[in-house]
Amino acid sequence: MFNLVRNEQMKLFLQKSTWAMLIALVLMAFFGVFLTKPDSDEVKYTDANWRTILEKENKKIEKNLKDPETQADEQYYQYVMQDYEVNEYYLKNDIMPLNYGAWQYVLDGKGFLPLLSLLTIIVAAGIVANEYRWGSIKLLLIRPITRTKILLSKYLSVLLFALIGLALFMIVAWIAGAIFAGVDGLNPKVAVYTDGKVVYDSIIARVFEDYGFKLVNLVMMATFAFAISTLFRNSALAIGISIFLMMAGSSIIVFLMEKSWAKYILFANTDLTQYTTGVPIFKGTTLGFSITVLLVYYVIFVVVSWLSFTKRDVAGS
Amino acid sequence: MTENAMELVDVRKSIGSKEIIKGLTFSIKKGEVFGFIGPNGAGKTTTIRMMVGLMKLSSGEIRIDGKSIVSEYKDAARKIGAIVENPELYPFMTGWQNLVHFARMNKGVTNERIKEVVELVGLEKAVKEKVGKYSLGMRQRIGIAQALLHRPSVLILDEPTNGLDPTGIREMRQHIRKLAEEENVAVIISSHLLSEIELMCDRVGMIQNGKMVAVQSVRDAEKPDTPALQDVILEAQPIEKSRSLLYAHSKIEAKAEGDLLRFQCEKDKIPELVAYLAGENIAIYQVGAGKATLEEKFFDLMGENTIV
Repeated sequence: MFNLVRNEQMKLFLQKSTWAMLIALVLMAFFGVFLTKPDSDEVKYTDANWRTILEKENKKIEKNLKDPETQADEQYYQYVMQDYEVNEYYLKNDIMPLNYGAWQYVLDGKGFLPLLSLLTIIVAAGIVANEYRWGSIKLLLIRPITRTKILLSKYLSVLLFALIGLALFMIVAWIAGAIFAGVDGLNPKVAVYTDGKVVYDSIIARVFEDYGFKLVNLVMMATFAFAISTLFRNSALAIGISIFLMMAGSSIIVFLMEKSWAKYILFANTDLTQYTTGVPIFKGTTLGFSITVLLVYYVIFVVVSWLSFTKRDVAGS
Repeated sequence: MTENAMELVDVRKSIGSKEIIKGLTFSIKKGEVFGFIGPNGAGKTTTIRMMVGLMKLSSGEIRIDGKSIVSEYKDAARKIGAIVENPELYPFMTGWQNLVHFARMNKGVTNERIKEVVELVGLEKAVKEKVGKYSLGMRQRIGIAQALLHRPSVLILDEPTNGLDPTGIREMRQHIRKLAEEENVAVIISSHLLSEIELMCDRVGMIQNGKMVAVQSVRDAEKPDTPALQDVILEAQPIEKSRSLLYAHSKIEAKAEGDLLRFQCEKDKIPELVAYLAGENIAIYQVGAGKATLEEKFFDLMGENTIV
């Protein structure tokens, strides 16, 4: 199995398109810091001024929260309210908030993870279909290795690619953050709103938790693309469908909101943070419910992929 | 152990309700070069795909060195090296990287072995270049190299001389014969070039409409049916006079084909006949030994209009 994964990685990283994708990811991680970094003059907390800055901010938020328009949108309301609670926490406990720095940028960088999902979908969609396109599938499947093992090695390679991409992204993001925003310590702490209350927590722990949640979506979409690509043996189709669904997923949910079965749709369950920081999309769903739904989808994707790869003939092109 | 490298027993394949392989039974001995011919759509490629496990058998059995490709896939596949249709390797990798890739999928293929195979197919220079830049002939060679890496006991080659220049074809022929004779490898070659098959193979199987219509030894076909009689081709003028003279001299019935006469006689008698004809003022331009080519046999068996 080790040799098979090594083969897949070799094939993946000898293709120029893989490098183009990773370079895009690195550029995003590097320059993204200018998008998330607050204007330095506006909020540079010092011992003298941080209280007034936060108080002023919260006055603004209070006004916003009373606005009927804000109250109409529950998600937005929650979001604004959480900012308020976090500020209150700093003031009440007399802790100066951290100035923006490398670790905070890495944490904010989770917002760019859909790009990594996209790249992983492209890799997942191609890793089987391309063998058919190149014709090399015939030489690959006449070895003394079961098709199940070959398929598994390809799937593991996709996940490995995602991990490599993720590590690269985080490292570059930290470096960019350190250069443009400064280093905010070895293990800095911030106040965050989670599970209905504000906690003072290490950013690094937050990074792993938040990225972990985001990866659920990545793994589900990559597995979906992988299954479609083995089923139809066509990478363009698999990329198209997967990216469309990834982009349109939340709109689909809004569109079908009223249906009683809408909560069983994959995209209603891929964002598990709805149970920790936000409001569940559907009332009455729980973390356990979503995990069960995700597992059912996952098993379906894997079985579809496995059946179509191992049971079908490799006929002429 | 059996001396058959590959055995097919009543192999059938249906796609949908259509049966495309209708019960193939034949075997290939160790060290034998077996030619597999037939018109397009006869089922050659389907049969080869079943031999290597790319397609499943609807019924029947294929054994490689006694191991079933159906129930003992891994043991059977270990003994096969193959090119199925075109040798399609990874175009963005070098020849060497491609070989390393396939070597890793078999146990015990060392770097030395890869080097050995590269030398065998004569790709020492090109092996560092990307396969995408290879000519068809080089691709054919790298295809054969990947098939030989793990020292298979059965080598299956689909159109192996496709795209090779005349020198390449000769080398390929020598390689294949050498593998069969020295390493006791059974080689299965499918081709539409009948003359190629004739030069390379020991036996030929002709397949038509999913059935084996004939299996015969090539070497035997080249020899006269009875040792005494020889096919003779004679170019002589005037042709009609020659024909009647031959009949008058020793009751030989010659067929006129354009400027040529074709007949059979004992080999020892040829000089005598030539001298006799010359004595009768017949202008003799050439005398040659004729033989029924595989192509003629092919069309005899298949009929002229086989491609439906």
